[in-house]
Amino acid sequence: MTRALPFVVFLAAGFTVPWIGSTYALGVGLQLGMWIALTQSWIILSGMAGYISLGHAVFFGLGAYFVVMTWEVIPIWLSLPLAGLITFLFAVIISVPVLRVRGPYFVILTFGIAELVKYVVILIESSFGQYSRLLFGTPEIGDLYWVMLALAIAATALSYWIRFTRFGHGLLAIREDEEAAQSIGIPIVRYKTLAYGLSGIIPAMVGGVMALRTNYFEPEQAFDPIVSFTIITMAIVGGSDDARGPLLGAAFFTFLSEMLWASAPQGYLIILGVILIAFILLMPNGICGRIFPPAGSRI
Amino acid sequence: MIDILLSEQLLAAAIITGTLYALVALGLNLVYGTMRLLNIAHGELVMLGAYVASSGYNYFGISPLVGVIGAGVLTGLMGAAVYIFLFRNLLVKPELSRRLEANSLLIFFGAIVILQNIVALAFTGTPRGYRYLDGVIHFGGVALTENRLAGFLIAAAICLATAIFLRASIVGVAIKALIQDRRAAGLVGINVDRIQLLSLTLGFSIGGVAGALVSMTQEITPFMGFPYTMAAFVVIILGGLGNLVGGIAAGLVLGFIQIYGVALTSPQWNSILLYGAFVAVLVLRPQGIMRGGRGVR
Repeated sequence: MTRALPFVVFLAAGFTVPWIGSTYALGVGLQLGMWIALTQSWIILSGMAGYISLGHAVFFGLGAYFVVMTWEVIPIWLSLPLAGLITFLFAVIISVPVLRVRGPYFVILTFGIAELVKYVVILIESSFGQYSRLLFGTPEIGDLYWVMLALAIAATALSYWIRFTRFGHGLLAIREDEEAAQSIGIPIVRYKTLAYGLSGIIPAMVGGVMALRTNYFEPEQAFDPIVSFTIITMAIVGGSDDARGPLLGAAFFTFLSEMLWASAPQGYLIILGVILIAFILLMPNGICGRIFPPAGSRI
Repeated sequence: MIDILLSEQLLAAAIITGTLYALVALGLNLVYGTMRLLNIAHGELVMLGAYVASSGYNYFGISPLVGVIGAGVLTGLMGAAVYIFLFRNLLVKPELSRRLEANSLLIFFGAIVILQNIVALAFTGTPRGYRYLDGVIHFGGVALTENRLAGFLIAAAICLATAIFLRASIVGVAIKALIQDRRAAGLVGINVDRIQLLSLTLGFSIGGVAGALVSMTQEITPFMGFPYTMAAFVVIILGGLGNLVGGIAAGLVLGFIQIYGVALTSPQWNSILLYGAFVAVLVLRPQGIMRGGRGVR
């Protein structure tokens, strides 16, 4: 029962927030949903397969860019899923060369790709004579909230469910020892590619929703490395070996950011960095590893 | 177009940029080579060095040529502190050292955000610059400001001095031995701990010095570091790990790609060329070019 508790609490809170009737609460809820969805998606690749991505902002940004470019051209119930599909294909295509790079080089490569795509988008936009784009007539936050809630639930369900599949066990085996995994017949290339693609779908849709929420698109903001950084910190602090970890990590930092972001944005980011380093050194399994020790370690 | 490409001015710019990249990469090479730590916060050391030199000049009127030394000392001390208080402990804890590479990447990622925001808090995010040695010198068809020339000469001198140090002194040879094989270096009696401390200090210090030189010719911001980290990675991967001559050559190659690439297109291509080179190098030839197939992962 206690194991299911975090899911129940978050789900109940998610459905309660709209009835509070305050736009501020909806805004915080939207942020929380966004970070949960992003972190859960990151876990599929980086937590399960152990391929740490420092560049998940690339999916977020591409999704936002696609939704912004197709705004008022195709309806959003179509453009959001399409954004997810496009980043899935993008991830699968680039994974062919990218996933051949292993270990620490893969990690810095993900960062380089995110920055490269950002500057390419800036170049494309400036060739249109644009620096940033404003959107008019975007949906109300009340409606966007439900979309974000659905994305957060979908991402959590996905990352929870994958663990019980053959695919999920394969990913864990790849994380522990890739060569051993291959030698016992796990199709490592297919699994890694699929994990890379899956971890990019929901972030793209989240990026699209956030672009509609802010009515504004600017490549520097949509592809901000801070997005990638925050995802990692939330995952590490929550504990990435369990679908509950991202819930706790995201909740903790969303509320911290609500308290600090407006008054001291730099202070917030410094605290974020310090907490990340402290957790890696002192509690590598995250909060979740402490509250819910993995089955093997309970005697 | 052709006459722009053939101008000595562009050639000089490419050589100067390339030498600076070679210097930045030299610092990273020492750290990565001896400890296998990918310090993605290396560019932030460049940024810190730049702020040391620029604030020394702006607030206290200290010549940036002296500030260079201050910058090197500050970041060098940071390197020593990071090694003594962090990595020495990390290396002995089995559960942390097993995933040391991944963990140290995340730790450095955290350090990037901390350093950028501390500097942004202290100096705001507005770009800063200062004018020092801004007279123009002519060599044939090339017009250079004195500060660019001074930066180039210092960078080249440090590269050269380090190359000589690594070849001619016993400590330098020990560093090279560590780069080639850590375990074997320990077996033949090299004090691995001390050499690691020295290379980390030296590597960090070179990053700071490079930053002070950069600040003499460019505007600086708290977020200027990433591109230097990327450039340094391109250089050490292209040039080969622990290969200093290769590194200098690779630095020049990158300088030429960027300067001539921008001359052929537009300044907006600057970052694309740099990050493009980075991605291309990692994807196509992660084992390095200079060393044929036997690069070290």
